Amino acid sequence: MENRSRATPGSHAPRALSCMQNALIYPLFRTDKLTRWRDRLSSEVGLTADPVDQAVLEFYDSFDWRLYADGKYLEVAGTADSAELRLRRLADRKIQALMPVVLPVPRFPSALATGALREQLEALLDMRALLPLASLRIRRYTLRDEDGEGKTRARVHLEAISLVDADGKRRQLLKRLRLQPLRGYGKAAKRIAGRLEQDYRLQAAGDELFRQALGAAGKQPGDYSSKLDIRLQPDQRADAAVRQVLVTLFDAMQANEAGTIADLDSEFLHDFRVAVRRTRSALGELKHVFPPATLKRFRREFAWLGGLTGEVRDLDVYLLKFDDYRAAVPPGLRDGLEPLRGFLQFKQHEEQSQHLAVQLQGRRYRKLKQQWQTYLASPLPKRPTARDAGKPIGLVAHHRSWRMYRRVMKEGSAITPDSPPPELHELRKSCKKLRYLMEFFQSLYPSGEIRASIKELKQLQDNLGDFQDLDVQIASMRRFAMEMRRRGEYTAAAQQAMDALMKTLEQRMHQARGDFEARFGRFASEENRVHFRQLFHPEEEDRDS
Amino acid sequence: MITIACYNIKGGVGKTATAVNLSYLAAQGGANTLVWDLDPQGAASFYFRIKPRVKGGTLGLFQRKRELEAAVKATDFPRLDLVPADFSYRNMDLLLEQQRKPGTRLKKLIKPLRDEYHFLFLDCPPSISLVSENIFAAADVLLVPTIPTTLSLRTLQQLVEFCDTEQYRHLKVIPFFSMVDRRKSLHREIIEERPGALKSAPVNYIPYASEVEQMGTRRAPLDTYAHASWAARAYREMWAELQPALLALKRGA
Repeated sequence: MENRSRATPGSHAPRALSCMQNALIYPLFRTDKLTRWRDRLSSEVGLTADPVDQAVLEFYDSFDWRLYADGKYLEVAGTADSAELRLRRLADRKIQALMPVVLPVPRFPSALATGALREQLEALLDMRALLPLASLRIRRYTLRDEDGEGKTRARVHLEAISLVDADGKRRQLLKRLRLQPLRGYGKAAKRIAGRLEQDYRLQAAGDELFRQALGAAGKQPGDYSSKLDIRLQPDQRADAAVRQVLVTLFDAMQANEAGTIADLDSEFLHDFRVAVRRTRSALGELKHVFPPATLKRFRREFAWLGGLTGEVRDLDVYLLKFDDYRAAVPPGLRDGLEPLRGFLQFKQHEEQSQHLAVQLQGRRYRKLKQQWQTYLASPLPKRPTARDAGKPIGLVAHHRSWRMYRRVMKEGSAITPDSPPPELHELRKSCKKLRYLMEFFQSLYPSGEIRASIKELKQLQDNLGDFQDLDVQIASMRRFAMEMRRRGEYTAAAQQAMDALMKTLEQRMHQARGDFEARFGRFASEENRVHFRQLFHPEEEDRDS
Repeated sequence: MITIACYNIKGGVGKTATAVNLSYLAAQGGANTLVWDLDPQGAASFYFRIKPRVKGGTLGLFQRKRELEAAVKATDFPRLDLVPADFSYRNMDLLLEQQRKPGTRLKKLIKPLRDEYHFLFLDCPPSISLVSENIFAAADVLLVPTIPTTLSLRTLQQLVEFCDTEQYRHLKVIPFFSMVDRRKSLHREIIEERPGALKSAPVNYIPYASEVEQMGTRRAPLDTYAHASWAARAYREMWAELQPALLALKRGA
């Protein structure tokens, strides 16, 4: 028998009647016949039965659980011809906003009608898509408690709920009785609850359908986050620790692979790409923990994979920035940018579907995954040959981070107002490498201090990132203008708008370049120098003092 | 909360049908909606099959012995609630006179419900009195169903002039054509001409239709039993036309 606790005879009055707006849930056995319950409730309790109906209930969130992280969830409920989208609070299921919606639910809230719900979803989800978590079908018998005027005073729903699997098959999940009180008619609901609990020995339970459905669908709330969280021990062998890092990154790649191929939203590719770049960075900056032959092969293959994703990511970024682009040109020219948007969308789709998605389903990528998987799962050598493999990771982390920090300082200090862009680009790369090392090895350092130092590094990275991104964007815009001209889309209005846009981008780039000295000055401050030295090179300090 | 008073000095012009049908559509659209049946005859309560009785009566409310919230009843439709009529409402004028600040009592009573509902529809009794002054003070919008006849236009003009004072500056008067019979040439002419205050009225109008009259026997909003009818469509179009203006009003406030 399944779990269903039934009340003992004569026990207590119905619970939860003070907040009579919320439905009371009474779990039923899966073997219970709903028609039998319906007949008993109509003949013995005097409720009026409505015809049976079928309803759909689906739950949604972004891949990285943004609604859940904010203590909310989104559901769509209804039938094929009329459905409602509701944002609920997890804690008490209270509806925060709702609207009628036509199925299927759009992937992005921007496709919904304007209103409070759309506003809240847009703010929470940003660029992330709504993805279905679980899809339920509910066969439902409704009974009403009516007064002499034919007014409904309370409703009882008998529900058989099944889960629709990924392959479309239905699987019975649970059966339950839901008593829905109506405001101003608390007495009627109280009477029915009394009958259910005393005559039928049912016991009210909380409404856990959201969690039950997710559990049955194999979804674990919060199981994906783009933030790295790797727990290492300082005395761990370096090759074992770095493998742990690489396994985490490989997991992130694989988690984002399907969404990248299907192009569900731009963040799958972004996270996929970051995982690849971090892997490459680990292979490069921690090269002395790997056997050289292994290293060479994987570095080549991951470089190929990284290159594969660049073009689509750039186009994604331009599309994400598009509202910003519109705002950057005078109002009269804004509509002139629309041909560019159309061009970017076309190009993004073409690159994504005909190149990236094809390669990610191709042989070379599959082979890389298999070999990488095999390597990561292979036993560690008892007596490693690679120089740093057997050293404690604490030491290797110190050493590598310190080296990269010094490179950043050296490259940064060499930059003068006359230095050409490639020198800043080199510095940016070094900053990124340092950042990745600090993130991989975060757990080896006091958390407040490493986070503060990452923050200082980030403010420098943001400046360098802006400068280079703008440099690349301007070059891309020129290229796009030529391609659009070839395709006959470069109208006079488009030309004027894009000229204005490029002018603004150039101004911003100069601004970013002008800000560099101050940003680097802050990063290179005495205070930060002391911090970085304390983090990565404490022995040196001892010797100094 | 946006408070919409369905009001006309004249009776029998479709006030209750307006309040019941538009509130139903508002709730269907996702808004938490409340109707207060202020007419002692209790037609709106009757349409929703809710007993026309408020415990403690008008005096109980005025003397703050009972909050308005305690009188709220759910209708059979999601998100749509009703404060029923009560026979004691017929003496509301007299009772108001005995209160301090008699002109803003209703406004004060509905204030606690402001955060709970998006729309409050007041189904108002006809005539112009201290009750109507309370309604003008409490409402954001006066929705005035107007039959296209000469006398109705004259009454509308009187109402517009009455409301055109500093005291009711907040109040937006929206008249619309109701119970339009296109077989009558006078109706057609007036609708065509849109005289006076009707110049900027909604382009949609509510036809005279037997389906609307059936609300008395069906005891339910029109849309629930005659969704495909011309009149039901007219209410839907009217609500679609009014809603953006109402929401804009709120943002402006």
